[in-house]
Amino acid sequence: MTDSPRARDLLRAWIDIGSQSVGGGTSTLFMIRRVLVDQRRWITPREFTEAYALSQLSPGIHFVAMAGLLGRRLGGTRGVVIAVAGMMVPASLITAIMTAFFAAVAEHPIALAALAGIAPIAAGMTLGQAVILGRPVIHRGPRGILDLAVAIAAALVVLTAGGSTIAVVLASGLVGALFLRGARPTSQETEMS
Amino acid sequence: MDQIALFLEFLRASALSVGGLASLPLLRSTLVPAYATDAQIVQSLAIGRLSPGPNGLYLVSLGYLVAGWPGAISALLAACLAPLVVLPATTLGRRWLLSGWFAGTVRGVALASAGLLAGTGIIIMIVSGTAPWQLILAAAATILTIRGTLHPAVLVGIGAAAGLVFAR
Repeated sequence: MTDSPRARDLLRAWIDIGSQSVGGGTSTLFMIRRVLVDQRRWITPREFTEAYALSQLSPGIHFVAMAGLLGRRLGGTRGVVIAVAGMMVPASLITAIMTAFFAAVAEHPIALAALAGIAPIAAGMTLGQAVILGRPVIHRGPRGILDLAVAIAAALVVLTAGGSTIAVVLASGLVGALFLRGARPTSQETEMS
Repeated sequence: MDQIALFLEFLRASALSVGGLASLPLLRSTLVPAYATDAQIVQSLAIGRLSPGPNGLYLVSLGYLVAGWPGAISALLAACLAPLVVLPATTLGRRWLLSGWFAGTVRGVALASAGLLAGTGIIIMIVSGTAPWQLILAAAATILTIRGTLHPAVLVGIGAAAGLVFAR
Protein backbone atom coordinates (compact mmCIF):
# COMPACT_ATOMS: atom_id res chain seq x y z
CA MET A 1 0.00 0.00 0.00
CA THR A 2 3.06 2.28 -0.16
CA ASP A 3 3.55 3.65 -3.67
CA SER A 4 1.10 3.81 -6.56
CA PRO A 5 1.13 1.04 -9.15
CA ARG A 6 2.17 1.97 -12.68
CA ALA A 7 -0.50 3.19 -15.09
CA ARG A 8 -0.04 0.22 -17.40
CA ASP A 9 -0.51 -2.27 -14.55
CA LEU A 10 -3.58 -0.39 -13.33
CA LEU A 11 -5.13 -0.43 -16.78
CA ARG A 12 -4.51 -4.15 -17.19
CA ALA A 13 -6.13 -4.88 -13.82
CA TRP A 14 -9.27 -2.89 -14.62
CA ILE A 15 -9.58 -4.38 -18.11
CA ASP A 16 -9.45 -7.81 -16.44
CA ILE A 17 -12.23 -6.77 -14.06
CA GLY A 18 -14.45 -5.34 -16.80
CA SER A 19 -14.02 -8.05 -19.37
CA GLN A 20 -14.15 -11.11 -17.09
CA SER A 21 -17.20 -10.22 -15.03
CA VAL A 22 -19.94 -11.66 -17.23
CA GLY A 23 -23.47 -11.00 -16.01
CA GLY A 24 -22.75 -8.06 -13.73
CA GLY A 25 -23.77 -7.80 -10.09
CA THR A 26 -21.97 -10.11 -7.70
CA SER A 27 -19.70 -11.34 -10.48
CA THR A 28 -18.31 -7.79 -10.94
CA LEU A 29 -17.92 -7.35 -7.18
CA PHE A 30 -16.12 -10.69 -6.97
CA MET A 31 -13.72 -9.72 -9.77
CA ILE A 32 -12.86 -6.34 -8.21
CA ARG A 33 -12.08 -8.04 -4.91
CA ARG A 34 -10.11 -10.86 -6.47
CA VAL A 35 -7.98 -8.67 -8.73
CA LEU A 36 -7.32 -5.67 -6.45
CA VAL A 37 -7.40 -7.19 -2.96
CA ASP A 38 -6.39 -10.85 -3.33
CA GLN A 39 -4.08 -10.88 -6.36
CA ARG A 40 -2.44 -7.43 -6.60
CA ARG A 41 -2.84 -6.50 -2.89
CA TRP A 42 -3.20 -2.83 -3.85
CA ILE A 43 -6.37 -2.38 -1.78
CA THR A 44 -6.97 -3.63 1.78
CA PRO A 45 -10.19 -5.51 2.58
CA ARG A 46 -11.23 -2.55 4.72
CA GLU A 47 -10.71 -0.04 1.88
CA PHE A 48 -12.65 -2.37 -0.39
CA THR A 49 -15.60 -2.49 2.00
CA GLU A 50 -15.57 1.29 2.52
CA ALA A 51 -15.52 1.96 -1.21
CA TYR A 52 -18.35 -0.50 -1.67
CA ALA A 53 -20.47 1.18 1.02
CA LEU A 54 -19.86 4.67 -0.43
CA SER A 55 -20.57 3.48 -3.97
CA GLN A 56 -24.05 2.37 -2.87
CA LEU A 57 -24.90 6.05 -2.30
CA SER A 58 -24.12 7.02 -5.89
CA PRO A 59 -26.61 7.44 -8.70
CA GLY A 60 -26.45 5.15 -11.73
CA ILE A 61 -24.13 2.15 -11.95
CA HIS A 62 -22.65 1.58 -8.49
CA PHE A 63 -19.59 -0.24 -9.83
CA VAL A 64 -18.58 2.85 -11.81
CA ALA A 65 -18.62 4.82 -8.55
CA MET A 66 -16.64 2.04 -6.89
CA ALA A 67 -14.09 2.02 -9.75
CA GLY A 68 -13.84 5.80 -9.41
CA LEU A 69 -13.22 5.62 -5.64
CA LEU A 70 -10.67 2.80 -5.86
CA GLY A 71 -9.05 4.38 -8.93
CA ARG A 72 -8.58 7.65 -7.07
CA ARG A 73 -7.08 5.76 -4.13
CA LEU A 74 -4.59 4.03 -6.47
CA GLY A 75 -3.62 6.89 -8.76
CA GLY A 76 -5.45 10.16 -8.20
CA THR A 77 -7.42 11.67 -11.07
CA ARG A 78 -5.44 9.66 -13.61
CA GLY A 79 -6.31 6.55 -11.61
CA VAL A 80 -10.01 7.40 -11.85
CA VAL A 81 -9.87 7.71 -15.65
CA ILE A 82 -7.87 4.48 -15.98
CA ALA A 83 -10.19 2.55 -13.67
CA VAL A 84 -13.49 3.67 -15.21
CA ALA A 85 -12.28 3.47 -18.82
CA GLY A 86 -10.55 0.12 -18.23
CA MET A 87 -13.64 -1.42 -16.66
CA MET A 88 -16.18 0.08 -19.05
CA VAL A 89 -14.69 0.64 -22.53
CA PRO A 90 -13.70 -2.92 -23.56
CA ALA A 91 -16.88 -4.33 -22.01
CA SER A 92 -18.97 -1.70 -23.84
CA LEU A 93 -17.22 -2.46 -27.11
CA ILE A 94 -18.10 -6.14 -26.75
CA THR A 95 -21.68 -5.20 -25.79
CA ALA A 96 -22.10 -2.94 -28.83
CA ILE A 97 -20.63 -5.53 -31.21
CA MET A 98 -22.96 -8.22 -29.82
CA THR A 99 -25.87 -5.80 -30.26
CA ALA A 100 -24.88 -5.03 -33.86
CA PHE A 101 -24.64 -8.72 -34.62
CA PHE A 102 -27.99 -9.49 -33.05
CA ALA A 103 -29.72 -6.47 -34.65
CA ALA A 104 -28.63 -7.78 -38.05
CA VAL A 105 -30.47 -11.09 -37.54
CA ALA A 106 -33.28 -9.85 -35.27
CA GLU A 107 -35.99 -10.11 -37.93
CA HIS A 108 -35.14 -13.71 -38.83
CA PRO A 109 -37.88 -16.18 -37.72
CA ILE A 110 -35.42 -18.14 -35.58
CA ALA A 111 -34.28 -14.96 -33.79
CA LEU A 112 -37.90 -13.90 -33.29
CA ALA A 113 -38.74 -17.29 -31.75
CA ALA A 114 -35.71 -17.06 -29.44
CA LEU A 115 -36.74 -13.54 -28.43
CA ALA A 116 -40.24 -14.75 -27.55
CA GLY A 117 -38.53 -16.89 -24.91
CA ILE A 118 -35.92 -14.31 -23.90
CA ALA A 119 -38.58 -11.62 -23.27
CA PRO A 120 -40.17 -13.33 -20.23
CA ILE A 121 -36.65 -14.03 -18.89
CA ALA A 122 -35.81 -10.33 -19.22
CA ALA A 123 -39.11 -9.47 -17.51
CA GLY A 124 -38.39 -11.92 -14.69
CA MET A 125 -34.82 -10.66 -14.22
CA THR A 126 -36.18 -7.10 -14.02
CA LEU A 127 -38.73 -8.14 -11.39
CA GLY A 128 -36.03 -10.02 -9.50
CA GLN A 129 -33.79 -6.94 -9.54
CA ALA A 130 -36.70 -4.91 -8.17
CA VAL A 131 -36.95 -7.31 -5.22
CA ILE A 132 -33.17 -7.29 -4.68
CA LEU A 133 -33.19 -3.49 -4.69
CA GLY A 134 -36.29 -3.16 -2.50
CA ARG A 135 -35.72 -5.89 0.07
CA PRO A 136 -32.89 -4.24 2.06
CA VAL A 137 -34.61 -0.83 2.18
CA ILE A 138 -38.07 -2.01 3.25
CA HIS A 139 -38.34 -2.24 7.04
CA ARG A 140 -39.92 -5.20 8.78
CA GLY A 141 -43.03 -4.45 10.84
CA PRO A 142 -45.19 -1.30 10.96
CA ARG A 143 -42.39 1.02 9.83
CA GLY A 144 -42.34 -0.83 6.55
CA ILE A 145 -45.82 0.33 5.58
CA LEU A 146 -44.62 3.72 4.35
CA ASP A 147 -41.65 2.06 2.58
CA LEU A 148 -43.98 -0.34 0.78
CA ALA A 149 -46.43 2.45 -0.04
CA VAL A 150 -43.68 4.43 -1.81
CA ALA A 151 -42.57 1.39 -3.85
CA ILE A 152 -46.14 0.36 -4.74
CA ALA A 153 -47.09 3.92 -5.72
CA ALA A 154 -44.07 4.01 -8.05
CA ALA A 155 -45.03 0.66 -9.59
CA LEU A 156 -48.62 1.86 -10.14
CA VAL A 157 -47.44 5.00 -11.94
CA VAL A 158 -45.58 2.79 -14.42
CA LEU A 159 -48.42 0.29 -14.79
CA THR A 160 -51.12 2.89 -15.36
CA ALA A 161 -48.82 5.22 -17.34
CA GLY A 162 -50.40 7.75 -14.99
CA GLY A 163 -47.54 10.18 -14.47
CA SER A 164 -43.93 11.08 -14.99
CA THR A 165 -41.37 8.57 -13.75
CA ILE A 166 -38.96 11.44 -13.01
CA ALA A 167 -41.62 13.09 -10.82
CA VAL A 168 -41.97 9.79 -8.95
CA VAL A 169 -38.22 9.63 -8.27
CA LEU A 170 -38.04 13.25 -7.11
CA ALA A 171 -41.16 12.95 -4.93
CA SER A 172 -39.86 9.71 -3.37
CA GLY A 173 -36.53 11.36 -2.62
CA LEU A 174 -38.41 14.16 -0.85
CA VAL A 175 -40.62 11.73 1.08
CA GLY A 176 -37.45 9.87 2.07
CA ALA A 177 -35.68 13.04 3.23
CA LEU A 178 -38.68 14.03 5.36
CA PHE A 179 -39.97 10.71 6.68
CA LEU A 180 -37.43 7.94 6.15
CA ARG A 181 -34.40 9.38 7.93
CA GLY A 182 -32.32 7.69 10.52
CA ALA A 183 -31.96 4.32 8.87
CA ARG A 184 -29.00 3.11 6.88
CA PRO A 185 -29.69 3.72 3.21
CA THR A 186 -27.43 1.12 1.74
CA SER A 187 -27.99 -2.47 0.73
CA GLN A 188 -27.59 -5.49 2.95
CA GLU A 189 -24.18 -6.32 1.48
CA THR A 190 -22.79 -3.11 2.96
CA GLU A 191 -22.66 -4.82 6.32
CA MET A 192 -19.97 -7.24 5.21
CA SER A 193 -16.48 -6.62 6.46
CA MET B 1 -33.63 12.60 -31.48
CA ASP B 2 -30.26 14.26 -31.89
CA GLN B 3 -27.09 13.06 -30.21
CA ILE B 4 -27.03 15.67 -27.47
CA ALA B 5 -30.68 15.10 -26.56
CA LEU B 6 -30.04 11.34 -26.45
CA PHE B 7 -26.96 11.82 -24.26
CA LEU B 8 -28.92 14.04 -21.86
CA GLU B 9 -31.70 11.45 -21.73
CA PHE B 10 -29.21 8.73 -20.73
CA LEU B 11 -27.52 11.07 -18.27
CA ARG B 12 -30.83 12.02 -16.63
CA ALA B 13 -31.91 8.38 -16.34
CA SER B 14 -28.55 7.44 -14.77
CA ALA B 15 -28.44 10.43 -12.44
CA LEU B 16 -31.95 9.87 -11.08
CA SER B 17 -31.71 6.16 -10.35
CA VAL B 18 -29.90 4.04 -7.80
CA GLY B 19 -28.26 0.91 -9.22
CA GLY B 20 -27.42 -0.36 -12.72
CA LEU B 21 -30.79 -1.54 -14.00
CA ALA B 22 -32.74 1.16 -12.15
CA SER B 23 -32.34 3.60 -15.06
CA LEU B 24 -34.56 1.36 -17.21
CA PRO B 25 -38.01 2.72 -16.18
CA LEU B 26 -36.95 6.32 -16.81
CA LEU B 27 -35.40 5.51 -20.18
CA ARG B 28 -38.31 3.36 -21.27
CA SER B 29 -40.80 6.12 -20.45
CA THR B 30 -39.02 8.58 -22.76
CA LEU B 31 -37.76 6.27 -25.55
CA VAL B 32 -40.71 3.86 -26.07
CA PRO B 33 -42.51 4.05 -28.45
CA ALA B 34 -41.09 7.11 -30.24
CA TYR B 35 -37.45 6.01 -30.52
CA ALA B 36 -37.33 2.36 -29.50
CA THR B 37 -39.62 -0.67 -29.27
CA ASP B 38 -40.17 -2.96 -26.30
CA ALA B 39 -38.58 -5.73 -28.36
CA GLN B 40 -35.42 -3.62 -28.51
CA ILE B 41 -35.58 -3.06 -24.74
CA VAL B 42 -35.72 -6.85 -24.28
CA GLN B 43 -32.78 -7.31 -26.67
CA SER B 44 -30.69 -4.76 -24.80
CA LEU B 45 -31.49 -6.35 -21.42
CA ALA B 46 -30.57 -9.81 -22.70
CA ILE B 47 -27.34 -8.64 -24.36
CA GLY B 48 -26.46 -6.66 -21.23
CA ARG B 49 -26.64 -9.93 -19.31
CA LEU B 50 -24.69 -11.96 -21.87
CA SER B 51 -21.88 -9.45 -22.30
CA PRO B 52 -19.14 -8.71 -19.75
CA GLY B 53 -19.13 -5.72 -17.41
CA PRO B 54 -21.66 -4.35 -14.91
CA ASN B 55 -25.42 -4.85 -15.31
CA GLY B 56 -26.01 -1.27 -16.34
CA LEU B 57 -24.23 -1.87 -19.67
CA TYR B 58 -27.63 -2.70 -21.18
CA LEU B 59 -27.54 1.11 -21.65
CA VAL B 60 -24.80 0.79 -24.26
CA SER B 61 -26.78 -1.87 -26.10
CA LEU B 62 -29.91 0.28 -26.04
CA GLY B 63 -27.91 3.32 -27.19
CA TYR B 64 -26.65 1.30 -30.14
CA LEU B 65 -30.16 0.15 -31.06
CA VAL B 66 -31.53 3.70 -30.93
CA ALA B 67 -28.71 5.54 -32.73
CA GLY B 68 -25.92 3.18 -33.81
CA TRP B 69 -22.32 3.68 -32.64
CA PRO B 70 -22.81 7.36 -31.68
CA GLY B 71 -25.75 6.23 -29.52
CA ALA B 72 -23.61 3.57 -27.85
CA ILE B 73 -20.90 6.15 -27.11
CA SER B 74 -23.47 8.62 -25.69
CA ALA B 75 -24.84 5.91 -23.43
CA LEU B 76 -21.35 4.87 -22.26
CA LEU B 77 -20.35 8.47 -21.45
CA ALA B 78 -23.57 9.09 -19.53
CA ALA B 79 -23.24 5.81 -17.64
CA CYS B 80 -19.65 6.71 -16.62
CA LEU B 81 -20.30 10.33 -15.65
CA ALA B 82 -23.38 10.12 -13.42
CA PRO B 83 -21.97 7.79 -10.71
CA LEU B 84 -18.72 9.78 -10.43
CA VAL B 85 -20.46 12.59 -8.52
CA VAL B 86 -19.55 10.36 -5.59
CA LEU B 87 -15.92 11.57 -5.95
CA PRO B 88 -16.41 15.29 -5.18
CA ALA B 89 -19.18 14.32 -2.74
CA THR B 90 -16.84 12.20 -0.62
CA THR B 91 -14.14 14.89 -0.43
CA LEU B 92 -16.33 17.98 -0.07
CA GLY B 93 -19.33 16.66 1.81
CA ARG B 94 -18.49 13.59 3.80
CA ARG B 95 -20.47 14.88 6.78
CA TRP B 96 -23.34 15.77 4.47
CA LEU B 97 -23.31 12.22 3.05
CA LEU B 98 -23.71 10.84 6.57
CA SER B 99 -26.65 13.10 7.46
CA GLY B 100 -30.05 11.63 8.24
CA TRP B 101 -31.90 13.49 5.52
CA PHE B 102 -29.44 12.40 2.86
CA ALA B 103 -29.78 8.78 3.97
CA GLY B 104 -33.56 9.26 3.80
CA THR B 105 -33.34 10.70 0.28
CA VAL B 106 -31.26 7.76 -0.99
CA ARG B 107 -33.71 5.40 0.70
CA GLY B 108 -36.70 7.10 -0.92
CA VAL B 109 -35.07 7.02 -4.37
CA ALA B 110 -34.11 3.35 -3.89
CA LEU B 111 -37.72 2.50 -2.97
CA ALA B 112 -39.00 4.39 -6.03
CA SER B 113 -36.41 2.63 -8.22
CA ALA B 114 -37.57 -0.76 -6.91
CA GLY B 115 -41.23 0.05 -7.53
CA LEU B 116 -40.58 1.50 -10.98
CA LEU B 117 -38.49 -1.55 -11.91
CA ALA B 118 -41.23 -3.92 -10.73
CA GLY B 119 -43.82 -2.06 -12.81
CA THR B 120 -41.52 -2.05 -15.83
CA GLY B 121 -40.87 -5.80 -15.48
CA ILE B 122 -44.63 -6.44 -15.48
CA ILE B 123 -45.11 -4.23 -18.55
CA ILE B 124 -42.33 -6.01 -20.46
CA MET B 125 -44.11 -9.25 -19.58
CA ILE B 126 -47.50 -7.98 -20.80
CA VAL B 127 -46.29 -6.49 -24.08
CA SER B 128 -44.05 -9.37 -25.05
CA GLY B 129 -46.48 -12.26 -24.58
CA THR B 130 -48.37 -14.00 -21.77
CA ALA B 131 -48.68 -17.55 -23.05
CA PRO B 132 -48.58 -20.06 -20.15
CA TRP B 133 -45.01 -21.18 -20.99
CA GLN B 134 -43.88 -17.54 -20.99
CA LEU B 135 -45.48 -16.87 -17.60
CA ILE B 136 -43.72 -19.93 -16.18
CA LEU B 137 -40.38 -18.73 -17.59
CA ALA B 138 -40.90 -15.25 -16.12
CA ALA B 139 -41.76 -16.65 -12.69
CA ALA B 140 -38.72 -18.94 -12.77
CA ALA B 141 -36.44 -16.09 -13.90
CA THR B 142 -37.75 -13.88 -11.08
CA ILE B 143 -37.06 -16.49 -8.41
CA LEU B 144 -33.67 -17.52 -9.81
CA THR B 145 -32.58 -13.87 -10.09
CA ILE B 146 -33.50 -13.23 -6.45
CA ARG B 147 -31.71 -16.37 -5.31
CA GLY B 148 -28.72 -15.61 -7.53
CA THR B 149 -27.80 -19.28 -7.87
CA LEU B 150 -27.92 -19.54 -11.67
CA HIS B 151 -25.75 -17.42 -13.95
CA PRO B 152 -27.85 -14.82 -15.84
CA ALA B 153 -26.31 -15.85 -19.17
CA VAL B 154 -27.59 -19.40 -18.55
CA LEU B 155 -31.07 -17.99 -17.89
CA VAL B 156 -31.03 -16.10 -21.19
CA GLY B 157 -29.92 -19.30 -22.94
CA ILE B 158 -32.79 -21.26 -21.39
CA GLY B 159 -35.22 -18.55 -22.52
CA ALA B 160 -33.91 -18.66 -26.10
CA ALA B 161 -34.14 -22.47 -26.17
CA ALA B 162 -37.69 -22.40 -24.80
CA GLY B 163 -38.61 -19.82 -27.45
CA LEU B 164 -37.24 -22.01 -30.24
CA VAL B 165 -39.33 -24.94 -28.94
CA PHE B 166 -42.61 -23.16 -28.16
CA ALA B 167 -42.76 -20.08 -30.40
CA ARG B 168 -42.21 -21.60 -33.85
